[in-house]
Amino acid sequence: MEKQLTLPRLREEMSSGVLCAWLKEEGEAVEAGEPLYEIETDKVVNQIEASEAGVLKRQLCEEGDELAPGAPVALLETE
Amino acid sequence: MERKPKWLRVRYNQEAVEEVARLLGELKLNTVCKEANCPNLGECYRKHTATFMILGSRCTRNCRFCNVIPGHPLPPDPEEPENVAAAVERLGLRHVVLTCPTRDDLTDGGAAHFAAVLEAIRSRCPGTTVETLISDMQGNTAALDVIVAARPEVLNHNVETVRALQGAVRPQADYRRSLDVLRYCKKKEPALLTKTGFMVGLGETEEQIEELLDDVLAVGVDILTIGQYLQPSPEHHPLARYASPEDFARYRDMALAKGFRHVASAPLARSSYRAWEALEEVHDLH
Repeated sequence: MEKQLTLPRLREEMSSGVLCAWLKEEGEAVEAGEPLYEIETDKVVNQIEASEAGVLKRQLCEEGDELAPGAPVALLETE
Repeated sequence: MERKPKWLRVRYNQEAVEEVARLLGELKLNTVCKEANCPNLGECYRKHTATFMILGSRCTRNCRFCNVIPGHPLPPDPEEPENVAAAVERLGLRHVVLTCPTRDDLTDGGAAHFAAVLEAIRSRCPGTTVETLISDMQGNTAALDVIVAARPEVLNHNVETVRALQGAVRPQADYRRSLDVLRYCKKKEPALLTKTGFMVGLGETEEQIEELLDDVLAVGVDILTIGQYLQPSPEHHPLARYASPEDFARYRDMALAKGFRHVASAPLARSSYRAWEALEEVHDLH
Protein backbone atom coordinates (compact mmCIF):
# COMPACT_ATOMS: atom_id res chain seq x y z
CA MET A 1 0.00 0.00 0.00
CA GLU A 2 1.34 3.41 -0.95
CA LYS A 3 1.42 5.94 1.85
CA GLN A 4 2.23 9.63 1.63
CA LEU A 5 4.46 10.89 4.45
CA THR A 6 4.12 14.51 5.50
CA LEU A 7 6.35 16.74 7.61
CA PRO A 8 5.22 16.54 11.24
CA ARG A 9 4.75 19.68 13.27
CA LEU A 10 7.78 19.21 15.50
CA ARG A 11 6.89 22.06 17.84
CA GLU A 12 3.68 23.98 18.30
CA GLU A 13 5.16 27.26 17.06
CA MET A 14 7.05 25.70 14.13
CA SER A 15 6.34 27.54 10.89
CA SER A 16 8.84 25.77 8.63
CA GLY A 17 12.00 23.69 8.48
CA VAL A 18 14.71 23.05 5.92
CA LEU A 19 15.18 19.53 4.61
CA CYS A 20 18.94 19.25 4.96
CA ALA A 21 19.57 15.59 4.11
CA TRP A 22 17.93 12.44 2.86
CA LEU A 23 19.10 9.43 4.84
CA LYS A 24 17.46 6.86 2.51
CA GLU A 25 17.58 6.64 -1.27
CA GLU A 26 14.57 5.93 -3.49
CA GLY A 27 14.04 2.18 -3.66
CA GLU A 28 15.74 1.57 -0.33
CA ALA A 29 14.04 -0.44 2.42
CA VAL A 30 13.38 1.25 5.75
CA GLU A 31 12.54 -0.26 9.13
CA ALA A 32 10.05 1.31 11.55
CA GLY A 33 12.03 3.67 13.79
CA GLU A 34 14.85 4.20 11.29
CA PRO A 35 15.60 7.84 10.41
CA LEU A 36 14.44 8.78 6.93
CA TYR A 37 15.48 12.41 6.53
CA GLU A 38 16.80 15.42 8.44
CA ILE A 39 14.94 18.68 9.04
CA GLU A 40 16.70 21.71 10.43
CA THR A 41 14.57 23.89 12.70
CA ASP A 42 15.35 26.88 14.94
CA LYS A 43 17.42 24.99 17.48
CA VAL A 44 18.59 21.66 16.09
CA VAL A 45 18.64 19.16 13.22
CA ASN A 46 15.84 16.60 13.68
CA GLN A 47 16.20 13.10 12.27
CA ILE A 48 12.67 12.04 11.42
CA GLU A 49 12.00 8.36 11.95
CA ALA A 50 9.75 6.20 9.80
CA SER A 51 6.63 5.19 11.70
CA GLU A 52 6.38 1.91 9.84
CA ALA A 53 8.51 -0.36 7.69
CA GLY A 54 8.42 -0.17 3.90
CA VAL A 55 10.31 0.87 0.80
CA LEU A 56 10.99 4.54 0.09
CA LYS A 57 9.22 4.81 -3.26
CA ARG A 58 9.74 8.48 -3.98
CA GLN A 59 11.33 11.54 -2.41
CA LEU A 60 8.88 14.41 -2.94
CA CYS A 61 11.30 17.20 -2.03
CA GLU A 62 14.96 18.00 -2.37
CA GLU A 63 17.71 18.86 0.05
CA GLY A 64 17.57 22.60 0.72
CA ASP A 65 13.78 22.86 0.35
CA GLU A 66 11.98 24.86 3.03
CA LEU A 67 8.87 22.99 4.12
CA ALA A 68 5.85 23.83 6.24
CA PRO A 69 4.35 21.30 8.66
CA GLY A 70 2.03 19.02 6.72
CA ALA A 71 4.00 19.33 3.47
CA PRO A 72 4.30 16.05 1.52
CA VAL A 73 7.81 14.65 1.94
CA ALA A 74 7.86 11.09 0.59
CA LEU A 75 5.89 8.14 -0.71
CA LEU A 76 6.41 4.94 1.28
CA GLU A 77 5.34 1.53 -0.04
CA THR A 78 4.20 -0.48 2.96
CA GLU A 79 3.11 -4.10 3.16
CA MET B 1 19.27 29.96 8.86
CA GLU B 2 22.84 29.25 9.96
CA ARG B 3 23.73 25.57 9.58
CA LYS B 4 23.79 23.75 12.87
CA PRO B 5 26.94 21.91 13.94
CA LYS B 6 26.81 18.16 13.37
CA TRP B 7 26.55 17.37 17.10
CA LEU B 8 23.18 19.14 17.40
CA ARG B 9 21.18 16.22 16.00
CA VAL B 10 18.15 14.67 17.66
CA ARG B 11 15.79 11.85 16.76
CA TYR B 12 12.05 12.44 16.34
CA ASN B 13 9.34 9.82 16.26
CA GLN B 14 5.96 11.33 15.60
CA GLU B 15 3.84 8.50 17.01
CA ALA B 16 5.75 8.37 20.30
CA VAL B 17 5.50 12.14 20.72
CA GLU B 18 1.77 12.13 19.95
CA GLU B 19 1.13 9.31 22.43
CA VAL B 20 2.69 11.19 25.36
CA ALA B 21 1.19 14.51 24.23
CA ARG B 22 -2.27 12.90 24.20
CA LEU B 23 -1.91 11.66 27.77
CA LEU B 24 -0.69 15.05 28.99
CA GLY B 25 -3.54 16.76 27.15
CA GLU B 26 -6.13 14.47 28.74
CA LEU B 27 -4.81 15.37 32.20
CA LYS B 28 -4.49 19.09 31.36
CA LEU B 29 -0.77 19.09 32.18
CA ASN B 30 2.01 21.29 30.87
CA THR B 31 5.58 20.23 30.30
CA VAL B 32 8.69 22.36 30.11
CA CYS B 33 9.65 20.08 27.22
CA LYS B 34 6.96 21.73 25.12
CA GLU B 35 6.89 25.22 26.62
CA ALA B 36 10.65 25.64 26.43
CA ASN B 37 10.78 24.08 22.94
CA CYS B 38 13.31 21.59 24.26
CA PRO B 39 15.35 19.85 21.56
CA ASN B 40 15.27 16.60 23.56
CA LEU B 41 11.45 16.35 23.58
CA GLY B 42 11.42 13.61 20.92
CA GLU B 43 13.91 11.45 22.79
CA CYS B 44 12.33 11.94 26.20
CA TYR B 45 8.74 11.37 25.06
CA ARG B 46 9.91 8.26 23.23
CA LYS B 47 11.29 7.00 26.54
CA HIS B 48 7.93 7.85 28.09
CA THR B 49 9.37 10.59 30.26
CA ALA B 50 8.62 14.29 30.56
CA THR B 51 9.31 17.19 32.90
CA PHE B 52 6.08 18.54 34.33
CA MET B 53 5.64 22.29 34.47
CA ILE B 54 3.20 22.86 37.31
CA LEU B 55 1.59 26.18 38.23
CA GLY B 56 0.59 27.02 34.66
CA SER B 57 2.42 27.93 31.48
CA ARG B 58 2.67 31.72 31.86
CA CYS B 59 5.66 33.29 33.60
CA THR B 60 5.71 36.55 35.55
CA ARG B 61 9.29 37.19 34.39
CA ASN B 62 10.77 37.69 30.96
CA CYS B 63 14.23 36.15 30.84
CA ARG B 64 15.98 36.76 27.54
CA PHE B 65 17.04 33.14 26.96
CA CYS B 66 13.76 31.44 27.73
CA ASN B 67 10.93 30.34 25.45
CA VAL B 68 8.27 30.20 28.18
CA ILE B 69 5.67 32.88 27.47
CA PRO B 70 5.54 35.81 29.89
CA GLY B 71 2.12 36.98 31.03
CA HIS B 72 -0.48 36.93 33.76
CA PRO B 73 -0.79 33.40 35.09
CA LEU B 74 -3.96 31.76 36.31
CA PRO B 75 -4.42 30.62 39.93
CA PRO B 76 -2.95 27.15 40.61
CA ASP B 77 -5.18 24.30 39.40
CA PRO B 78 -6.38 22.38 42.50
CA GLU B 79 -6.68 19.22 40.39
CA GLU B 80 -3.10 19.43 39.20
CA PRO B 81 -1.47 17.46 42.08
CA GLU B 82 -3.68 14.41 41.41
CA ASN B 83 -3.33 14.79 37.64
CA VAL B 84 0.48 14.87 37.83
CA ALA B 85 0.44 11.80 40.08
CA ALA B 86 -1.86 10.04 37.60
CA ALA B 87 0.52 10.86 34.73
CA VAL B 88 3.51 9.62 36.73
CA GLU B 89 1.67 6.37 37.33
CA ARG B 90 0.54 5.94 33.73
CA LEU B 91 3.98 6.73 32.32
CA GLY B 92 5.61 4.46 34.91
CA LEU B 93 8.17 7.09 35.93
CA ARG B 94 10.77 6.12 38.52
CA HIS B 95 12.09 9.68 38.75
CA VAL B 96 10.00 12.80 38.24
CA VAL B 97 11.18 16.35 37.65
CA LEU B 98 8.73 19.09 38.61
CA THR B 99 9.34 22.63 37.49
CA CYS B 100 7.31 25.83 37.19
CA PRO B 101 7.25 29.24 35.61
CA THR B 102 8.28 31.92 38.11
CA ARG B 103 5.18 32.93 40.08
CA ASP B 104 6.02 36.30 41.59
CA ASP B 105 2.24 36.90 41.81
CA LEU B 106 1.86 34.24 44.55
CA THR B 107 3.03 35.15 48.04
CA ASP B 108 4.73 31.76 48.47
CA GLY B 109 5.95 31.58 44.86
CA GLY B 110 3.91 28.38 44.45
CA ALA B 111 5.73 26.46 47.22
CA ALA B 112 2.56 25.02 48.77
CA HIS B 113 1.43 23.79 45.36
CA PHE B 114 4.80 22.08 44.84
CA ALA B 115 4.36 20.37 48.21
CA ALA B 116 0.84 19.24 47.27
CA VAL B 117 2.08 17.73 44.00
CA LEU B 118 4.90 15.97 45.83
CA GLU B 119 2.48 14.56 48.37
CA ALA B 120 0.15 13.29 45.65
CA ILE B 121 3.07 11.55 43.88
CA ARG B 122 4.30 10.02 47.17
CA SER B 123 0.85 8.71 47.92
CA ARG B 124 0.14 7.21 44.50
CA CYS B 125 3.68 6.16 43.47
CA PRO B 126 5.65 5.57 46.68
CA GLY B 127 8.79 4.26 44.97
CA THR B 128 9.21 7.25 42.67
CA THR B 129 11.89 9.83 43.40
CA VAL B 130 11.18 13.52 42.87
CA GLU B 131 13.33 16.42 41.79
CA THR B 132 11.99 19.96 42.23
CA LEU B 133 13.43 22.47 39.77
CA ILE B 134 12.32 25.68 41.43
CA SER B 135 12.38 29.39 40.71
CA ASP B 136 14.24 31.61 43.18
CA MET B 137 10.90 32.15 45.03
CA GLN B 138 12.20 35.71 45.42
CA GLY B 139 14.56 34.35 48.06
CA ASN B 140 11.60 33.88 50.42
CA THR B 141 12.97 31.50 53.06
CA ALA B 142 9.49 30.62 54.39
CA ALA B 143 8.61 29.39 50.87
CA LEU B 144 11.89 27.48 50.59
CA ASP B 145 11.15 25.87 53.98
CA VAL B 146 7.90 24.49 52.53
CA ILE B 147 9.77 22.97 49.57
CA VAL B 148 12.50 21.46 51.75
CA ALA B 149 9.91 20.08 54.22
CA ALA B 150 8.21 18.26 51.31
CA ARG B 151 11.46 16.24 51.05
CA PRO B 152 12.26 16.04 47.36
CA GLU B 153 15.28 13.82 46.66
CA VAL B 154 16.87 16.63 44.63
CA LEU B 155 16.40 20.38 44.84
CA ASN B 156 17.42 22.08 41.62
CA HIS B 157 17.67 25.80 40.95
CA ASN B 158 19.50 27.09 37.92
CA VAL B 159 21.90 30.03 37.95
CA GLU B 160 21.55 29.84 34.13
CA THR B 161 24.63 31.93 33.26
CA VAL B 162 27.80 33.51 34.63
CA ARG B 163 27.63 36.45 37.02
CA ALA B 164 28.60 39.04 34.38
CA LEU B 165 25.72 38.13 32.03
CA GLN B 166 22.90 37.94 34.59
CA GLY B 167 21.53 41.41 33.83
CA ALA B 168 21.39 40.77 30.09
CA VAL B 169 20.05 37.21 30.30
CA ARG B 170 17.73 37.13 33.36
CA PRO B 171 17.14 40.77 34.30
CA GLN B 172 14.52 40.10 36.98
CA ALA B 173 16.66 37.52 38.74
CA ASP B 174 19.85 37.91 40.70
CA TYR B 175 23.00 35.76 40.79
CA ARG B 176 23.55 36.36 44.50
CA ARG B 177 19.93 35.50 45.31
CA SER B 178 20.15 32.25 43.33
CA LEU B 179 23.31 31.29 45.24
CA ASP B 180 21.53 32.18 48.48
CA VAL B 181 18.60 29.88 47.57
CA LEU B 182 20.96 26.96 46.98
CA ARG B 183 22.97 27.69 50.13
CA TYR B 184 19.87 28.08 52.31
CA CYS B 185 18.25 24.82 51.20
CA LYS B 186 21.46 22.83 51.68
CA LYS B 187 21.99 24.29 55.13
CA LYS B 188 18.39 23.65 56.10
CA GLU B 189 18.61 19.99 55.08
CA PRO B 190 22.20 18.81 54.54
CA ALA B 191 21.02 15.40 53.26
CA LEU B 192 19.14 17.09 50.41
CA LEU B 193 20.97 16.81 47.09
CA THR B 194 21.23 20.22 45.47
CA LYS B 195 21.70 20.83 41.79
CA THR B 196 22.20 23.76 39.46
CA GLY B 197 22.89 24.36 35.81
CA PHE B 198 24.07 26.91 33.33
CA MET B 199 24.26 27.45 29.60
CA VAL B 200 27.28 28.23 27.45
CA GLY B 201 27.09 30.19 24.22
CA LEU B 202 25.63 33.37 25.68
CA GLY B 203 28.93 35.28 25.53
CA GLU B 204 30.69 34.08 28.67
CA THR B 205 34.48 33.65 29.01
CA GLU B 206 36.36 30.64 30.39
CA GLU B 207 37.41 32.69 33.44
CA GLN B 208 33.78 33.58 34.14
CA ILE B 209 32.80 29.90 33.86
CA GLU B 210 35.48 29.01 36.36
CA GLU B 211 34.22 31.71 38.73
CA LEU B 212 30.69 30.29 38.44
CA LEU B 213 31.92 26.77 39.23
CA ASP B 214 33.70 28.06 42.35
CA ASP B 215 30.64 30.07 43.43
CA VAL B 216 28.13 27.23 43.16
CA LEU B 217 30.49 24.70 44.72
CA ALA B 218 30.96 27.04 47.66
CA VAL B 219 27.21 26.97 48.40
CA GLY B 220 27.25 23.16 48.54
CA VAL B 221 25.89 22.18 45.12
CA ASP B 222 26.25 18.42 44.48
CA ILE B 223 25.08 18.05 40.88
CA LEU B 224 25.83 20.30 37.93
CA THR B 225 24.44 20.47 34.39
CA ILE B 226 26.12 22.38 31.57
CA GLY B 227 24.47 22.69 28.14
CA GLN B 228 24.54 24.69 24.93
CA TYR B 229 22.33 27.80 24.75
CA LEU B 230 20.04 27.52 21.73
CA GLN B 231 18.35 30.77 20.76
CA PRO B 232 14.57 30.20 20.68
CA SER B 233 13.91 33.08 18.23
CA PRO B 234 15.63 36.15 16.76
CA GLU B 235 14.00 38.19 19.56
CA HIS B 236 15.87 36.28 22.27
CA HIS B 237 19.41 36.85 23.57
CA PRO B 238 21.79 36.37 20.63
CA LEU B 239 23.80 33.17 20.32
CA ALA B 240 27.50 33.96 20.79
CA ARG B 241 28.95 30.57 19.82
CA TYR B 242 28.47 26.86 19.58
CA ALA B 243 30.76 25.17 22.10
CA SER B 244 32.17 21.88 20.81
CA PRO B 245 31.78 18.48 22.51
CA GLU B 246 35.48 18.83 23.43
CA ASP B 247 34.71 22.13 25.20
CA PHE B 248 31.94 20.42 27.19
CA ALA B 249 34.30 17.57 28.13
CA ARG B 250 36.80 20.15 29.37
CA TYR B 251 34.14 21.90 31.49
CA ARG B 252 33.09 18.55 32.93
CA ASP B 253 36.67 17.62 33.85
CA MET B 254 37.21 21.06 35.37
CA ALA B 255 34.04 20.76 37.48
CA LEU B 256 34.78 17.20 38.63
CA ALA B 257 38.32 18.21 39.60
CA LYS B 258 36.86 20.99 41.74
CA GLY B 259 34.71 18.49 43.63
CA PHE B 260 31.18 18.28 42.21
CA ARG B 261 29.67 14.84 42.76
CA HIS B 262 28.04 14.54 39.33
CA VAL B 263 28.42 16.67 36.23
CA ALA B 264 26.33 16.36 33.04
CA SER B 265 28.10 18.49 30.45
CA ALA B 266 27.19 18.09 26.79
CA PRO B 267 25.73 20.23 24.00
CA LEU B 268 22.21 18.91 24.58
CA ALA B 269 22.45 18.40 28.35
CA ARG B 270 19.56 20.12 30.09
CA SER B 271 18.48 20.46 33.71
CA SER B 272 16.19 17.49 33.66
CA TYR B 273 17.64 15.49 30.76
CA ARG B 274 18.38 11.98 32.07
CA ALA B 275 18.08 13.42 35.57
CA TRP B 276 17.74 9.94 37.08
CA GLU B 277 21.30 9.10 36.00
CA ALA B 278 22.70 11.87 38.19
CA LEU B 279 20.56 10.78 41.12
CA GLU B 280 21.53 7.13 40.78
CA GLU B 281 25.21 8.01 40.74
CA VAL B 282 25.24 10.14 43.85
CA HIS B 283 22.43 8.74 45.97
CA ASP B 284 22.13 5.33 47.53
CA LEU B 285 18.43 4.84 46.92
CA HIS B 286 18.15 1.43 48.50
